[in-house]
Amino acid sequence: MIEVSHLSKSYGVFQGGRGQGGAQKAVDDISFRVEKGEIVGFLGPNGAGKSTTLRILAGFLGASAGRVRIAGHDIAEEPQKARAQIGYMPELSPLYPEMRAGEYLLFRAELKLIPRARRRAAVALALAQARIEDVEQVMIGHLSKGYRQRVGLADALLGSPPLLILDEPTAGLDPNQIREVRGLIRALGRDHTVFLSTHILPEVEATCGRALVIARGRLVAEGSIEALRARRRAPSARVVARGDHAAIVAAATNLAGVKRASAELLPGGGVALTVDFADDADGAAVTEDLVAALVGAGVGVREVVASGASLEQVFAELTQGEDSGPAAGEARA
Amino acid sequence: MKGFWAIYKRELFALFVTPLAWVLITAFLVVQGIHFAILVTQFAGPADLTEGGPIAAFFGKTMLLYLPLLFVCPLLTMRLFAEERRSGTIEALLTAPVGTPGVVLAKYGAALTTFVVMWAPTVLYILLLARTGDVDWHAVGASYLGIFGLGAGYLALGTMSSAMTESQLTAAMLSAMMLLTIFTVGLGEFAFEDGPARAICAYISPWGQMGDFSAGIVDLRRLVLDATLVVVPLFTTVRTVDAWRWG
Repeated sequence: MIEVSHLSKSYGVFQGGRGQGGAQKAVDDISFRVEKGEIVGFLGPNGAGKSTTLRILAGFLGASAGRVRIAGHDIAEEPQKARAQIGYMPELSPLYPEMRAGEYLLFRAELKLIPRARRRAAVALALAQARIEDVEQVMIGHLSKGYRQRVGLADALLGSPPLLILDEPTAGLDPNQIREVRGLIRALGRDHTVFLSTHILPEVEATCGRALVIARGRLVAEGSIEALRARRRAPSARVVARGDHAAIVAAATNLAGVKRASAELLPGGGVALTVDFADDADGAAVTEDLVAALVGAGVGVREVVASGASLEQVFAELTQGEDSGPAAGEARA
Repeated sequence: MKGFWAIYKRELFALFVTPLAWVLITAFLVVQGIHFAILVTQFAGPADLTEGGPIAAFFGKTMLLYLPLLFVCPLLTMRLFAEERRSGTIEALLTAPVGTPGVVLAKYGAALTTFVVMWAPTVLYILLLARTGDVDWHAVGASYLGIFGLGAGYLALGTMSSAMTESQLTAAMLSAMMLLTIFTVGLGEFAFEDGPARAICAYISPWGQMGDFSAGIVDLRRLVLDATLVVVPLFTTVRTVDAWRWG
């Protein structure tokens, strides 16, 4: 449904590699495919190039280099055919505040070339799918953030385009609304291909089957959620104990299978010990040994938390690793 | 030209559902009303008709015609692109399956329509004059054609300014400066001795255009100039809009 090959985008005048110190690349040579029927998350910290990529896919911005094909149509050669396949929701879903939600969607339906006879039905369907029938007659300027976001979503759904491109669909929503929108996206995934961007990990875990991770304009990882989790680093454990600080650190450090241990005093009088296990260690066995060693050293163990590698850690490692060069152009989302 | 009608209707809606168009039209009609009243009072007394009657005077002999034009046109066009860029709605607009020329023409067309609506009530003045004396309808038609030609060019320049900035204020100032420049250069007709400089100034002078048209002289060269002032800025607008996307 989406085929992207060697896509690059640089802002500014000096592009195309003429001379040194040219423009910072917001997107740097990324390639990927999204197949029909997938829900794919596009994950990355703020400023990584997510929105730029999505804007190029949606046909709002032109690429500096590379090709994008949407449902077989090249976005540069057949822009209108390609755009007709897409329901795009821009970041923060900007809307005309002076229009009523229903009027706005009718305008959008006409713009999307839905035949006059089918327009009202298409708008009614989109209103129902986004669950905003109750605000059809309300001016967009008077709507709450959550409703506005869903008007933007209804706009993307108009005419049931085969591909939905959603830029941070849950940004600025409260937890209940987030849950609702995620449920909606999962439901939409049955009939549409969905490509959504986010900087929030649980979002990807909750809605997507596959994720692409982008950092500083480059794709740093790609795969199913399980595959990404498998790239986790060795797990660690956190122990809250009562006893002598030095003794606690010594007991932990001397243990086989422990790479590093550090401790800090807690305000309540206890000691918080963080233990990183060696890469090849069996976390569960080392944890048992650790507790036994601590108890043997006369330390009172109050709490043990095994911090298995979460996707958060994977994300942090992928996007913060290889810190080469200054992180210029951060503001470009 | 896909999307033209949808965007044209929405632009008119946006102009007339917000106070902007109403405020501009009201202000414009108040000024023109005063303008007309002054002229009628003057011509009601012993008047010199060798330089043309009240219609010729109304359509080109006083600053009260040009001043509103120079300020109304920039205000009418300033929001066309600048507002959508500032608020981000331009993104949704341009990712719909529409072409840039359609978007530009629709927005310009809505401004031009508002301009025509703004002038429409002044026809009443002519009807008032027709009740008391003979009106040269040919000159009236030519005058409106001249006004339409001028306005069309001014609005195209305003549309272009609006596409060049995200700030409505900057857009309005930019186009007002362009219009004032044209007007001022036109006044060169009265400043230079006979020669090419004077000929050029006279050619682009809006004052000169309205002087001719209000006397019933439809000069094709002036219409060519007006058409150029429509086509070139609108073409530049299309290129500008494409430039922020593809640059």
